[in-house]
Amino acid sequence: MNELKTITTLLVDLLDLENDRIGPQSYLVRDLGMESIDFLELAVSLNSAFQVPVADDVVFLRNLRLFIVQAEEAGEDIAACLQTHYPFLSGRRIAQMANDLAAGPVLQVRDLVAYVRFQTHANKAA
Amino acid sequence: MQLTFGGQVVFILGGTGALALEFAARAMAAGLTPVLTYRNAQGEQKITARLAERQHRYRTLDLDLARPQPAQALAPLRHSPDYLVDFAQGDLENLVAAADDNTAASYFKINISGRFMVVKAIARLMLQKRKGRMVFVSSAAAARPNPGQGFYAAAKSASEALYRNLGLELGERGITTVTLRPGYIAAGRGQQFIDNHQELIKDKIPIQRALTAREVADTLLFLLSDCAQGFNATALTLDGGMSAGK
Repeated sequence: MNELKTITTLLVDLLDLENDRIGPQSYLVRDLGMESIDFLELAVSLNSAFQVPVADDVVFLRNLRLFIVQAEEAGEDIAACLQTHYPFLSGRRIAQMANDLAAGPVLQVRDLVAYVRFQTHANKAA
Repeated sequence: MQLTFGGQVVFILGGTGALALEFAARAMAAGLTPVLTYRNAQGEQKITARLAERQHRYRTLDLDLARPQPAQALAPLRHSPDYLVDFAQGDLENLVAAADDNTAASYFKINISGRFMVVKAIARLMLQKRKGRMVFVSSAAAARPNPGQGFYAAAKSASEALYRNLGLELGERGITTVTLRPGYIAAGRGQQFIDNHQELIKDKIPIQRALTAREVADTLLFLLSDCAQGFNATALTLDGGMSAGK
């Protein structure tokens, strides 16, 4: 299954955007202007389209900054902490996010793809 | 006025009480298809006994807010219901300062958190088709409880708040909510109280009578109908004027 294509279609329908405005590195908030109600509807759509469990807080990285603060306060390795909370993200992607936080919300379309692939694999393994 | 309905399937949470069963019968008469929830075999039998003559026009679902992860019981629903009418409510009558801690905590867990999990799951089903209508059956006691009704009123008030915000948050996506606060109803738990307090009823209620289950059921049906969709994220009181005066 082409997860990127399906997710792009979902976003096009949800946000009433042109297809060519959405790519794997599009930021959901910064580029596509998504709001909280859009994220809720996207979570429902992801669950329906891919038949995988969708934990809104996880897939949309809702507590990312909180986890970073907690890791800093505890003197823990931030990347390792984030990897624990977001096992669907690669170490490289987590490092990119850490460097990108100052510019705003870091969630990109490719992160959704990673989440869906991770959950699909977990479903099959179960 | 002929009521019209843009949807077909009405999910009835807490489908075994006298009022819920009356509503289910009225909904079927209006052409809707109820899905009634029950918690045990006794509840299922009550549904069968009341709606026996229409057994092919409704469905039932085993769902207990007290069980862990109650929303998982919704799995047999293949499609989103068009409507939700929520009658579910446990009973806990005690003075606030006299109640047992664990009993109170359990009561809130079931009647607020358990309800939240189920309503959230149904809201997400409704979101898939951007269409849905929810009616929460609260009580006039949410605003004006009698002594001993503190926990009941607290659970109703908290649940009202959840429904109000759902209507506030999802209205733009086609999902609306409304709360109905009935007063004394001559059915179910209220019947015995009314029978024993006829003078009080006449004294407290300007229309000098309790509500019938039929008129509450028909009001709920009206609130589901197409013409009532403008009632969103609000609460309506149906008590014959009881709460308007001292």
